[in-house]
Amino acid sequence: MGRIGAIALNTFRETVRERVLYNLIVFALLLIGTAILFGQISIGVQTLILINLGLTAITFFGLAIAIFIGIGLVYKEMDKRTLYALLSKPVRRYEFILGKFAGLGLTLLVNVALMTVGFYAALFYIRGASGPENFPSLVAIYFIFLQLLLATALALLFSCFSSPVLSAAFTFGLFIAGSFSTDLLALSKAVQAPWLEGVMRALYYALPNFRNFNISTGVAHGHGVPGVLVLHNTLYALLYTGLVVAAAVLIFQNRNLK
Amino acid sequence: MIPARRWVPIALLVGLVGGAAVVRVQQQVDASLGPLQQEVDELYLPSPEWVKRLSLGYDGLLACVYWTRAVQHYGRHRLEAWEGGRPSYALLYSLLDITTTLDPELLLAYRFGAIFLTEPPPGGPGRPDLAVKLLEKGIAANPDYWRFWYDLGFVYYRAGDYQKSSEAFHTGAERPGALPWMRVMAAKVLAEGGDREKSRALWWEVYHSTDDKAIQTSALNHLAGLKVDEDVEQLQKLLKRYEEQTGQPARTWQELIQAGLLRGVPLDPEGYPYRLMPDGSIRLRPKSRIVSTLARSD
Repeated sequence: MGRIGAIALNTFRETVRERVLYNLIVFALLLIGTAILFGQISIGVQTLILINLGLTAITFFGLAIAIFIGIGLVYKEMDKRTLYALLSKPVRRYEFILGKFAGLGLTLLVNVALMTVGFYAALFYIRGASGPENFPSLVAIYFIFLQLLLATALALLFSCFSSPVLSAAFTFGLFIAGSFSTDLLALSKAVQAPWLEGVMRALYYALPNFRNFNISTGVAHGHGVPGVLVLHNTLYALLYTGLVVAAAVLIFQNRNLK
Repeated sequence: MIPARRWVPIALLVGLVGGAAVVRVQQQVDASLGPLQQEVDELYLPSPEWVKRLSLGYDGLLACVYWTRAVQHYGRHRLEAWEGGRPSYALLYSLLDITTTLDPELLLAYRFGAIFLTEPPPGGPGRPDLAVKLLEKGIAANPDYWRFWYDLGFVYYRAGDYQKSSEAFHTGAERPGALPWMRVMAAKVLAEGGDREKSRALWWEVYHSTDDKAIQTSALNHLAGLKVDEDVEQLQKLLKRYEEQTGQPARTWQELIQAGLLRGVPLDPEGYPYRLMPDGSIRLRPKSRIVSTLARSD
């Protein structure tokens, strides 16, 4: 655990040194600017747009970090040959992978936490009050974080055996495919051939279901989030992320690094 | 390394001159491109279902964007109408349909979309049928929201269909949380048809049902329009009486004042004098935003 923690902390420091947190300034400007703009050109949707845009921005800023940092986690260490120095020390390969994952997870946690503060500040500015109606947004942000962990695990998996460009394409492709998952299920009910329905269903369950975590439209209207959904989504994210990280460990473990 | 005191002023100068040049050239490009880049009212994705599918689950955000597009579309064409044009509002219903498919709970898109659609030309498309369709979609998606029945009653009322208006008010009155006057309205509309008092009550309800300044301003303009209609009817009676007394039509308000029929120059609800035209018609000041059926602005 100590070694994994040390790698995680170093990964976090590295990402901060790469000025990843600069995106927070863009996030703040985007939120304030958009809220003011839509207040001027639209009717009655200032709060709705702030919540929807805020949650979408947290997702996409986080996704950009998860993908673009995630794909380089292993590749960069190999390219700079720092991996060999690291693995010559008493560090196991799985510890390296878990440490890298935890480090990027920590970066995302800090990033999402800071964006949450900005989001609530903007919400407070627009609504002028803070009450229980703001709580569902916090659950939505928790779901976004789970989603980002899943994306990080996928980026890490691809970075274990592919180039950064391909890893980014694969991860983003899976994010898009996983966001269309409900359509896949609907399609499976629409097709005539039973085998095709089976394929569609299999794909539905095999692909990471990013749609599970997107509840922004509902929370923008103030709908509460059932506790059972929080539990199920947490379980799904832990299971799927765990499987993907395990696959990454397996691939990296068997990779010829010579 | 060049010291900052040497490069900073040069960089600032280059930035300023270069920036000014870019602005100037862009203005030239805008002027030359004008006829080639006329804004076209077009929906590249007309199917609400496809737009929803392609939203990747971010349908709430996209709904706000489409609602803003609908507001802008309506506002832009309405301005055209004020400037004497005859706009078509061709995309208004499609934009509202996409908005409400993306986010079926965006209540104000149904409510104020219906008001926009009902507005008679040139201030709106004058399509109460589409307003009814939109509100029925809203009722199907939000069956507990009684105010849609109020809006439906209002749309039928404005279209002059008092039977259906009364039915809508009556059905809405049965919904949980509905205000008691919905029942009164149902009875009054059926018994007496349309009159200014009821229109006034309905517009006041629109005014009080929202915090949005744009909608409140629109409701106030309609209320002012009702007052203008009353004033115009009154003034026309006085003009007729003057003509009967003197045998010739009045050309200025001053003549009515001298005849003792008016105490001063009559003012519209915005405080501007009504204009008595040579043909005897009464008009509002140019650019007035008041929505009147009896006096227009030009």
